[in-house]
Parts: sequence; structure tokens; C-alpha cells
Amino acid sequence: MKQMVLSILTKDRPGVIADVTGAIFRLQGDLADLNQSVLWGYLTMILIVNFPDTVTKATLAAAIAASEGAADFQVSVKELAAPLTSGPPVPKETFIMTVQAANRGGLVYQVSRFCCERGINILDLTTTLRDDRYVMALQLDLTGIVSLAALREDLSAFADTMGLSLTLQHNDLFQATEEVRLH
Amino acid sequence: MLQSENILATVEMIQKENLDVRTVTMGINLLDCRGGSVRATCKRIREKIASRAGRLVAACDAASEKFGIPVVNKRIAVTPIAFVGAGFMRDDFVAIAQALDAAASEVGVDILGGFSAQVEKGLTASDRELIAAIPEAIATTAKICSSVNIASSQKGINMDALAMMGKTVKALAEKTAAQGGFGAAKLVVFCNQPGDNPFMAGAIHGLEEADAVLNVGVSGPGVIARALERRIAERGVAALPLDELAENIKQTTFRVTRCGELIGRRVSEALGVDFGVVDLSLAPTPAIGDSVGEIFKILGVDAIGAPGSTAILAMLNDAVKKGGIFASKTVGGLSGAFIPVMEDAALAAAVGEGALSLEKLEAMTCVCSVGLDMVAIPGSVDADTISAIIADEMALGVVNHKTTAARLIPVPGKEAGEMVSFGGLFGASPVMAVKNVGQSSRFIAWGGRMPAPVHSFKN
Repeated sequence: MKQMVLSILTKDRPGVIADVTGAIFRLQGDLADLNQSVLWGYLTMILIVNFPDTVTKATLAAAIAASEGAADFQVSVKELAAPLTSGPPVPKETFIMTVQAANRGGLVYQVSRFCCERGINILDLTTTLRDDRYVMALQLDLTGIVSLAALREDLSAFADTMGLSLTLQHNDLFQATEEVRLH
Repeated sequence: MLQSENILATVEMIQKENLDVRTVTMGINLLDCRGGSVRATCKRIREKIASRAGRLVAACDAASEKFGIPVVNKRIAVTPIAFVGAGFMRDDFVAIAQALDAAASEVGVDILGGFSAQVEKGLTASDRELIAAIPEAIATTAKICSSVNIASSQKGINMDALAMMGKTVKALAEKTAAQGGFGAAKLVVFCNQPGDNPFMAGAIHGLEEADAVLNVGVSGPGVIARALERRIAERGVAALPLDELAENIKQTTFRVTRCGELIGRRVSEALGVDFGVVDLSLAPTPAIGDSVGEIFKILGVDAIGAPGSTAILAMLNDAVKKGGIFASKTVGGLSGAFIPVMEDAALAAAVGEGALSLEKLEAMTCVCSVGLDMVAIPGSVDADTISAIIADEMALGVVNHKTTAARLIPVPGKEAGEMVSFGGLFGASPVMAVKNVGQSSRFIAWGGRMPAPVHSFKN
């Protein structure tokens, strides 16, 4: 058995998932996990698939290309040296940072650079632009942060310098206020 | 997947709409602190409070920092001291109050409640001594709150205690005349007092409770007000029936209560103390935008106290309960809408405008939690009239099977319309007019008990 990571980029339409998983099925692949997202009509999908040893990157790419309507697929395949059974453990605690500012170039870069410089991993990020106001919500892993108070001070100074409206709250708060079940 | 709209709604609640956890209150049983002397008792009380609540403030601050939600007050509620100090005399009870004050300062809490007695059916000698000690105990301490439960739906009203409380309220106000009678703001007379209420001045650690327990009081009238304004702006007045606004209050209360539940659970875990209840009361502060009174105007009366105000409060109180009950594992305490006049800038303003009278306020207390709360009245009002105002409020509680209370402040040297200010969370308001002063003494003089109503006999 070998494991491959497969990514597809295409214009969204009905049948994309059927095309991709149909090709995998025909190659006797076993789908381990899948995630997909659609942004402004474009779909991107990442899949982890276990294949028989006979399947190669080339046969997989060919099988997908042979699918009906696969002409505009951009496919990338990576074969893993050692198969995975799951992703890295999700941190026990995560935090949500929101950033709001008048729209301008470099906002995401500046915020992500701030995080990068402090060893903060961004687990998830969503952005929206409304009425020329750019809003970011980032889920952060602060495992490497020693002092939350010091980070808040740093963030406050960063927000002042960059002209951002910025908040940092524990993820549990949003789970508590948005979901029926409270852990 | 992150939902930025939901995330921003929660962030706005905290940042712009005054959402906070009003109080984390640790209830502590002191029944095992009675020593052979008052000195020994005081020592044991201080040791027990230090051992139980020594880390309370730090744990609350840590949770507040972590979750980004302010915990405005950290408090302690203790076993009603008349039980703890059974057999002691008046001066001994004053000494216990001072020991409690010292203990509260040692652990750094803002306020401590439980200088209390429960006398709804009869008064023991200890109860009488404690009540006699209240004026000096409260006037000579900074952080101690007192409450006396003089009525219940099961037992009726203790009219002897009622007469004593009118005099006690007046004596306490006069003893603290230099601060506008502020002492009386720390004394509340109850009917059906709950033993797990985290709010002051009426917090006690009831006899039914475990050795220590953590109760949380949420706040959030500003959050409700802003949510209603947003809903009205989105839908327009014409297409928005009242039940949809009630639904809006319910949903918002759910979110507010959940914040309290979260903080309560985490602080409990950190301290290894059982989490008791969330009291989902809408507790206003004098800050602009954190007012229950403001919600009346949003919901359609141009003056607070105008006809319709009681109905609005009934709906608000009900929607708050419905939204909050599902949000918390266990709710308790008072759980409803508070209308503490001095602590709510909009209510205080309505008194100044002449829109809100004592009589209308009394009517409104039939449908909300607590009662005549933080009401400044002229210092010239006699003790029997104060007792009679309390009697009416107690009767509402007895008959309606609900908690009612009176926290009246007869402001020494001031008459109706004059301003009184206590600062901080205690707020400010004009003194309210009291009609028919001095007309109730014969009623108060009967003493004895007002029997419980027929519908209390359910066995």
C-alpha cells in the first residue's frame, strides 16, 4: 500500500468530486480524508488516498485527466514516504484573533508576519471584504507563547502602529456562545 | 471553519456592549467556625476564608485574562452569621463583622455578604442580637453586606422582624450620614431569599449548600439593548412584532449566559471548588449603555414608568430566563431583570424627570427579579413607613412565590428631588418622593406574623 496527497484546483461545477473520486475508485484507491473549499467560484480540494503499490503518480494523473470534464483540472500529486494515520494532534487550546482595517495592500502579510516572528502557527484563516473594510479571523496555536499578557501588549502596540482594530480571544468563548454543547 | 460574522458578534458583545461577568462569588460554609469565644470564632473564620478563597482573585484574573472577558467583582458569600454566631451578643456580632471585613481584605475580594439572619417565621435571641448589631457592623466595615430574610411564601411575613428592619435601615443610614446614608445600600430585606445568589447586597451561602461553591452572576443589559437596536434597524419597526423581539432577547441572553458559564466552569476547575449556578440576571451599571432602563425605551415607551412599562418588564424578565436556562447547566439565584434605581442611569434619570414613581416601581417589581432596589428616599421618612413599604414588597413575594427585596436608602438631610451619589457601581439618583408618610404606624405596631397564603399549603 502506498499513500498519496492529491490536490485539485478547478472552476467549481456540479460533478467535480464525482470525477475525482471516480478516478480514485477505478484505481482501487481508498480515500482516507478529504477537504475542499470554494472561493469566488473556484474549487480547491485536498485528498489523502491509499493506493495499491502498482499505482503511480503518472497513472493517477492520467486516470483523473481521463475523467469527463476534467480538462481544466490542475492536479498535483505527492507520494508519501511513510503513510500517515492521522494529522498532527490539534492543540488543546486555540485562540481567535480578529483584525479589522480599511482595505489596503499587505494586511494579511503584516499580520501573518507578526505571527511568524513569534512562532505562532495560523491554523485557520478567513477573510471578508465589505464596504471597503477588510476583516480577518485567524485561529491561532499559541502553544509556544510563554506569556499571554506580553503577547497582548505586543499585539496592542502592533495594532496601534499598523492602524488595525485587533482582538484576541480564547476559542472556547466562541464555542460557548455559538454551539449548543459546552465542553 | 471560522465564521467571521459569528466571531465578530461575540467580539462586539465584549468590546462595545459592556458584556462582562459581573461577579464570581464563592460561597463558604462557616458553621464549623464557632469557637468557645468570639475571639476564637473570629480567628477560625479568618482562617477558613483564607484557606478557601485565598486563590479566588488570582483564579478569576487568570480566567479573565485568558478568555478576554472582564470579571468585574470577586466576592464571597458566607453562612448567615446569626447561625454561625449562635449565642453571641450584639457586640460580638460587630466583632465578627470586622473579622469578616479583615478576611475579605486579606484575600482581596471586593465585597462579602452574609451578615445575615433568616427570621421569616420567628426570631431567636441570636437573630435579635445580629439585627441590633447591623448598623454598627456595616458602618464600621468597608466590604460587608447584610441581609435579613423576614418573609417566605411558606411562612408568611414576620411582622416583628419587619418593624425592626424599618428602624435598622434608618439607623444604618443615619450612622453613615456623612456618606449620604451609604450604609443602607449594603443592607437588604428579603422575602424568599435564595441561598445561592451571587449578587450583593443579598448574597448568602445557604444552609442547604456544600462547604464551598462558586456562583457566577452575569450582566449584559447593554448587549441586549444593542441587539434589539440592530434587529429593529434590520427589519424596520413596521414589520417587527413583539414576539420576534422577545426571541431576539432570548438568543442574546443565551450568548451572554454562556460567557458566565464558561468563566464559572474554568474558575471552578482551577480552584477545585464545585460550580454552583449561573445567576442570569440582567444587572445594570451606572455606565451609559449598560442600562435596563434603556431597554424600556427601545421596546416602545418614551418614558420609563409610563403605562406599558410593567408589561415590557414582564416580557424582558421572561425572555431572559428562557434564553439563559438552556445556556447553563444549573441556574439559580435571582435570575431575571434587575431595576436598581441608583445603579441604572436611565432609571435614575426617569426619577428626576418625574416619570418613575415609587408606586410604579413597586408594580414593576411584581414581574421582575428582586424588588425595590437601591431606591433613595427622603431621610425624613419615619421607620414605620419604611417598614410598611417593605411590607408591601414582601407581600408581593409571598403571594407570587418569588423573591422580592427592599434596599431603601433614607438619605439623611435630603428631600425628594435632591441628588445623592455613592459613586462606582452604586451610582447616583435623585431622592424619590414617598407619598402618605407617617400613615402606617398602626399597621406596623401589630407585630406577630402575617400568615402564609392558602396556596402555600401544598403538602
